[in-house]
Amino acid sequence: MISLWQAHVSFAMITFLLLPAFGLNRALRIAVLFALLAVSFIPVDGLSLATYLRSHIDDLAITSMVLMAWGCLRRLGVLPPAQQSKTWVLILFAVLALVLYPATMGLSDLDPYRFGFNPRPMLIFFALLTLGLFYLRNLLAVVMLASATLAFVAGIKPSQNYWDYLIDPLLGLYCFASLLMLVMHWMYGLLIKRHRSPPNRPA
Amino acid sequence: MGQEMPSLKMRIKFPSIPALGAYLALTSLFAAAWFLNPGHTHSSFALMNPVKAVADQVAKPIYTSRFASSGLVDFVHSSAVTALPDGSLMTVWFAGSREGAADVQVRSARFDVKTGEWGSEQVLATRDSTQQGTQRYIRKLGNPVIALAPDNRLWLFYVSVSMGGWAGSAVNVMVSDDFGGSWSAPRQLITSPFLNISTLVRSAPVFHADGSIGLPVYHEFLGKFAEYLYLSADGKVIDKYRISHGMNSLQPTVVPLDGQRGIALLRYAGNTHHRVLATRTEDAGQTWSEPYPLNPSNPNSSLAAVATPEHGLLVALNDLQEGRFKLSLYGTDAKMVDWRSLSDLDKSPDPEGDPISPQVYKEIMGHEFRGSSGALRQPLEAQFLNNLDTRVCTVRGCEFEYEYPYFIRSPDGMYHLVYSWNNTFIKHVTFNEAWLSERLK
Repeated sequence: MISLWQAHVSFAMITFLLLPAFGLNRALRIAVLFALLAVSFIPVDGLSLATYLRSHIDDLAITSMVLMAWGCLRRLGVLPPAQQSKTWVLILFAVLALVLYPATMGLSDLDPYRFGFNPRPMLIFFALLTLGLFYLRNLLAVVMLASATLAFVAGIKPSQNYWDYLIDPLLGLYCFASLLMLVMHWMYGLLIKRHRSPPNRPA
Repeated sequence: MGQEMPSLKMRIKFPSIPALGAYLALTSLFAAAWFLNPGHTHSSFALMNPVKAVADQVAKPIYTSRFASSGLVDFVHSSAVTALPDGSLMTVWFAGSREGAADVQVRSARFDVKTGEWGSEQVLATRDSTQQGTQRYIRKLGNPVIALAPDNRLWLFYVSVSMGGWAGSAVNVMVSDDFGGSWSAPRQLITSPFLNISTLVRSAPVFHADGSIGLPVYHEFLGKFAEYLYLSADGKVIDKYRISHGMNSLQPTVVPLDGQRGIALLRYAGNTHHRVLATRTEDAGQTWSEPYPLNPSNPNSSLAAVATPEHGLLVALNDLQEGRFKLSLYGTDAKMVDWRSLSDLDKSPDPEGDPISPQVYKEIMGHEFRGSSGALRQPLEAQFLNNLDTRVCTVRGCEFEYEYPYFIRSPDGMYHLVYSWNNTFIKHVTFNEAWLSERLK
């Protein structure tokens, strides 16, 4: 059952990314990641810990899995930081979340979730978007979208809807929170810069 | 300046071979996805062949009522019924110490056409069985619906909640290939992108000509609105259509009129007119007209409807502004303009539904028990009255509740209605065309 394996991998990666690094070297961090995977199988009242987490966050989108895998590899020092790529990823998935969730949950007469059941127009849009992102060499976004589409073709999730491979509420929330932090950081920097620069004096 | 001036001579830079390969791979991937997902074709409603022969032969009006559930202790609610090929019936409902309790189970009973009695209760789903089947933590179970597909597969859909209240509901499905003898493990339908929450079932599924299933559902998270889930014949969600929108409609009961036309009646959950809402489809459930209020009142309670051979509708509902102390049967034309009261299926002795004293309540309950318990349960009367559930009694007195009707017409032409009888029993009322004709005179 692929969704259960996905739940265990999600559990391990989420907890790994939430935990501090504790100054451990790469080999120990890898050991921690595998230990967390083992922890995800611990049963409580007949259900594993991963199952409990899955009950509350649902099966994550493939894009989330790729982003978390990218985060883990960065934490392990395998991949270099890619701040600019990541910012565009945050903007992209925040916009997708904004388009999808409020309308689907009843705040609009239009139901964009429906488009995911007959996804040909969506596939054309995301194909062009992915090719454009590749042209801009935003490889993180390209891998996320391509993996989601590949998983959709393979049908590895129980859902028949393309949206469920592209985005989940946790990813949307993470993107919004990260963008908010980025904006606050940028505004704080701007304020500091203005405060430090000498005031203009009349000639 | 530290900046290079742009060259005036345009230079075309071709992508490298690996980059070209990546472009090609990405294009191939999306092209494959495009070709493999052509979209589904929407099928027309499957209409049950009206078996008027039996109904016409039976000149004698038939109207019977009996209890389908037999437990004397639990809170029972939200029943559904389906007809099986051997003439028997199967009803399902949820039962437990109270609505929303962790011990709530989905139970069933089978009506034996030979004895004319409902058999013992069977447990179809529990919190634990749903957890094991769906591999999700389950807090509580809710509304079940059951229907026999044209391919003779028996489908059970029921609500479960993993977190929060009913707004956090998801729909689970079980299927039986031997008319309820054995069932598949439950699995959850994926109906919503937001944590797969806020989808509930209540009313009868509708089948389409190609075997696909139309499942009327509703949301009550950010909005209160109805939808028509479109499932493939093997129970995968392949599309969904909005029946209504906004904050004021729940629990659609969908009645096909022919292959393309259909009506959905909706429970009104707003604060304005307290009337039943109706909407129509002309394309087998893909698009629905703007819901509009009908004549009968609706005190934010579930209702059920079924088509008649004369292209009209029979509707069971609480035609009240407030409370659920009277359950009525109405007949209306396909335009839903002319409404005729056919029968009060159950009602409080007080015309306003005001509370009555516990003593009088007990007497009435005893009388009603004798009227509907059936021969098998008659000996339980004393036990029933001794353990009479007082959940409907307060210091003001006791109140009656007859609610959540579910309506079908079986292939033999008989009408079957099940509903919650004071949340103490599931009551089954059945009648035939002759009885209906008599009431329409």
